[in-house]
Amino acid sequence: MKQDLIGRFREVNQTFPRTREIIDFKNNGGMVFGWFCTYVPEEIIHAAGGLPIRIVGHSTETELEDGTAYFYVNNCSFSRSCLQLGLRHEYDFLDGIVGGSTCDGARRLFDLWRIYIQTPFHCIMTVPRKYTDRAHDLYNSQVKHFKDLLEEFVDLPITDEALLKSIALFNESRELLRSLYDLRRLDSPPISGAEIMEILNASFRMPKELFNQHLQELLHELQQSDGGRPKPLRIMLVGSVLTNPQFVKSIEDLGAIVVCDELCTSTRYWSDLVVLGNGLPPLQALSRRYLNNFPCARMYPSTERFDRIVALAKAFGVHGVISETIRYCVPYAHDLPLLADHLKQEGLPMLTLDVEHGTPGSGQIQTRVQAFFEMLEARTL
Amino acid sequence: MTSSLQNTNRIDALVRATRLMYRMSKARPEPRQSELLYYQMLIRYYERLLKARENGDFVAAHTVFFPSEVLYAMDIAPMHLETTSWMTALFLGEYADLLAAGAELGLASEICSPHRGLAGAFSIGALPKPDVVLWSNMVCDNTAKSGELLMKITGCPGHFLDHPFQDSSEEIAYFTDELKEMVAFLEDHSGRKMDWDRLSLVVGNMDKQLEILRSIHELRKAIPSPFHPQGFLELLTVDYLFAGHPEATEYLETLRQELEEAIAQGKGAVAKERYRLMTLFLPPMYLIGFLEKMSQEFGAVSVAEPFFCQWGDGKLDPKRPLESVALKSYMIPEMNMYAPMGDRAITKIRTAAQEFRIDGAIYYADVGCRHTCATIKLFKDILDDMDIPVLTLDCDVVDPTITSQEEIRGKLEGFFELLDDR
Repeated sequence: MKQDLIGRFREVNQTFPRTREIIDFKNNGGMVFGWFCTYVPEEIIHAAGGLPIRIVGHSTETELEDGTAYFYVNNCSFSRSCLQLGLRHEYDFLDGIVGGSTCDGARRLFDLWRIYIQTPFHCIMTVPRKYTDRAHDLYNSQVKHFKDLLEEFVDLPITDEALLKSIALFNESRELLRSLYDLRRLDSPPISGAEIMEILNASFRMPKELFNQHLQELLHELQQSDGGRPKPLRIMLVGSVLTNPQFVKSIEDLGAIVVCDELCTSTRYWSDLVVLGNGLPPLQALSRRYLNNFPCARMYPSTERFDRIVALAKAFGVHGVISETIRYCVPYAHDLPLLADHLKQEGLPMLTLDVEHGTPGSGQIQTRVQAFFEMLEARTL
Repeated sequence: MTSSLQNTNRIDALVRATRLMYRMSKARPEPRQSELLYYQMLIRYYERLLKARENGDFVAAHTVFFPSEVLYAMDIAPMHLETTSWMTALFLGEYADLLAAGAELGLASEICSPHRGLAGAFSIGALPKPDVVLWSNMVCDNTAKSGELLMKITGCPGHFLDHPFQDSSEEIAYFTDELKEMVAFLEDHSGRKMDWDRLSLVVGNMDKQLEILRSIHELRKAIPSPFHPQGFLELLTVDYLFAGHPEATEYLETLRQELEEAIAQGKGAVAKERYRLMTLFLPPMYLIGFLEKMSQEFGAVSVAEPFFCQWGDGKLDPKRPLESVALKSYMIPEMNMYAPMGDRAITKIRTAAQEFRIDGAIYYADVGCRHTCATIKLFKDILDDMDIPVLTLDCDVVDPTITSQEEIRGKLEGFFELLDDR
C-alpha cells in the first residue's frame, strides 16, 4: 500500500515535464508558469489562476550538449540541464517564467531562457542578500512588481482573497511535509530518504491541491506502519539542488538512513510557513516568508544557514552530515570551509562531495561514503 | 585558519616591481607620460599599504567595484583585493603558492582563482592583515561570498554591501542606504568621521573623470587606433584604485591629450594596424607582456571593450555625494554584465562593433568566471549576425596552469589568418 501511494508521486516524476496533470491543466485553458528558484512566491501564480511548477533539469546524469553550448562548461550542470530541456522543447507548454537574482547560474539561466526560448511572460526579481527591514521593503516592492506584471499578463486582478486562499493551500502543503519529516525523527523511520525525495520532487511538479490529497493519504498509511529495524547511522544531506532519489538510495544502501536534509529541493523549499496576522497584508506576509525562509548559501550572514543546519541535525539525531555541491555552484562551494568549521565545533563530522547534477552516486562516491560511514561507526561504537 | 605554506610579502614585492616598471618605462626613447603617471600612482598606492602600520593608517581591504570614493573621503587606505591578485600575477608571475594555500583552506577549484588566491594569501601572511574587510555582490557570487571567509582568516571585522540587481529608483535608494550604513560601520571601527565636504569633492572629481573616460572612449574610434593594444587594463586599474583622486584626473587628462596628439599626427599604437579587435572579458594577466608583443607583431589592437570601457550615461552631483556614489555603481561598464542581460547590453555590443569598425572579437573565457562565460554563445551569435568572427580562448586570469603561451599564440595566429582570408 505504501509503495502504491509513493508510486503516484513517482509517476509524476517519471513523466515530468509532460505530466498528465500539467497537460490536463493546459487543456482546460489554464496557464502554467515555471519558476527557477525558491525565492519566487508560487502563491501569486496560483492566486492568478495559474499552475506554478519548478523548472528542473534531467533527474539523471545526462550528456548536456545543448546546455553546455549555450551556457559554457563552467556553469553548474543544474542550470545547463534546465536550459537543455527548455531548448529541446520539453517546456514548450509554459506561458511564463519567473526567476530571482539569486545566483550567477540562476540569473544567466533566466537571461538565456528569455532570449533563446522566448516563453511569453518573463519576470526576474531582485532578491536582497540581507534580512534587514530595508531588504524586506525592497523585496516586497519586487514581489508587488511581479504581481502587477502577472495581473497585466493574465488580464485579471489578483485579489487579497485569492492570495489568502493560495497561502492557506501552500501552508497546508508545508504542514503536511512537516508531519512527514516528523516521522523521520523516529528511531525507525517508516520511510527512507530516497522515498522522501520522490515526494519532494513531485511537490513542485504538480497542482498543490492534488499533492496535498496524495500526501495526506500517504501520511495516514505511514502513521500506521512499523519502521522496522533501526539503521545504525542517521545521516543529514546538505547542499544545493538534488533531485535524483537514486543518489540518496546509494547512500542508504551502504547501511544508513537519510533522516533530514537541507537542499534547495527539500527543506529549504518547504520549511517555513507564511505567517498571517497583525494586520499584515497577504502580499507582505508572503514576501516576508520568502526572504526569511530557510536561507540559501547566497544570503548574508551565512551563520543563519549554519545555525539552522545544526538545529536540524540535532533535532533529527544525526550522526554525520554529507554535503553535496554541484560543481561550479560557487555559493555553496564558498561556504564549505566555514560550514565545516561550524559543524566541527558542534561535534558533527561532514563528508563533502562534489557532484554533477543528476548523479546516481557513482562507484567513487560510494567508496568515499563507505569510508565516511566506517569513521562514523567507529565514533558511535 | 592558517596554512603550512611559506609567506613572502607580496606588497613589498609589488612596490619593487612597480618601481622597476616605472624605471623601464622612463628609460624608453619616447616615454609615454600617462604611463609614467600610472606607475607613479601604483607605487604610491602600494607604498602606502606597505607603510600603513608604521604610519598609523587604517586599512580597508575591499572587493572589486566597492566604492573606494568613500574610503578616500575618510582618508582610509584601500587595499583592492582582486587588483592586488592580478598585480601579483602580472608583475611577479607568482601565483601557484597562493592557489595552493587557498586549496588547503578547502576552497574548491571552481571558485575563481583570484578569490582562492586571496584567501590563500591572507592565510599564509603574504598579504598584510587589514583593519576591516569590505565586500559586495558586485559583480558575481565570488565577490558576494568571499568576505566572510576573509573575516575568519584575518580575524578582522567586516561589512557586506548589498548591491541590488536592477536599477529601479527603489533599488538605487536601497543601495544609498546601504552606503550610509557602511559609512557608519567605518566610522565606528576607524574612529574617523566621514568628511562630507571631501566626499563632495571626490564626487566632483569622479564626474570629471567620467567625462574624460567617455571622451577617451570616443577617441579610440580613430583609425589607426591611438591607444596601445592592451591599454584598457590601465583604464580599469585607474578606476578600481583611484576613483575620484586628483591624480586619476591628471592621468586621464594626460592620456586624452596624448591620444588627441596621436590622432592629429595619424600615429597608431602599432606600427601597422591590421586588425581592430573587440575584447570580451579579461586576458590572462600573466601573459599581458606576451600579448602586447603579439599585438605589435601582427598589428592587432583591442579598440573596444564594451563591458570595461563603455560607461553608462548620467551625471554625478557633488551636492548629493552618497546618492552619486550609488548612481555611479550603475554606470560602471561591467554592471551591464551583472544586470539582466537585456537589450541595453546587446545594443552596446552591436553599436560598438559598428562604430569601432571591428574586424574580430576575442572572448577570454576565464574558467573561473561563470556569469561571463554564460554569455559567450549569446555574444557570438550577435557578432555572427554582423559577420564578425569571434575567437574563444579558454584561460584563467591569474592561473598559468590552464593554458600556455604557446597554445594562445597558436590560436591567435590561426584567428589572424582567418581574418586575413576574409
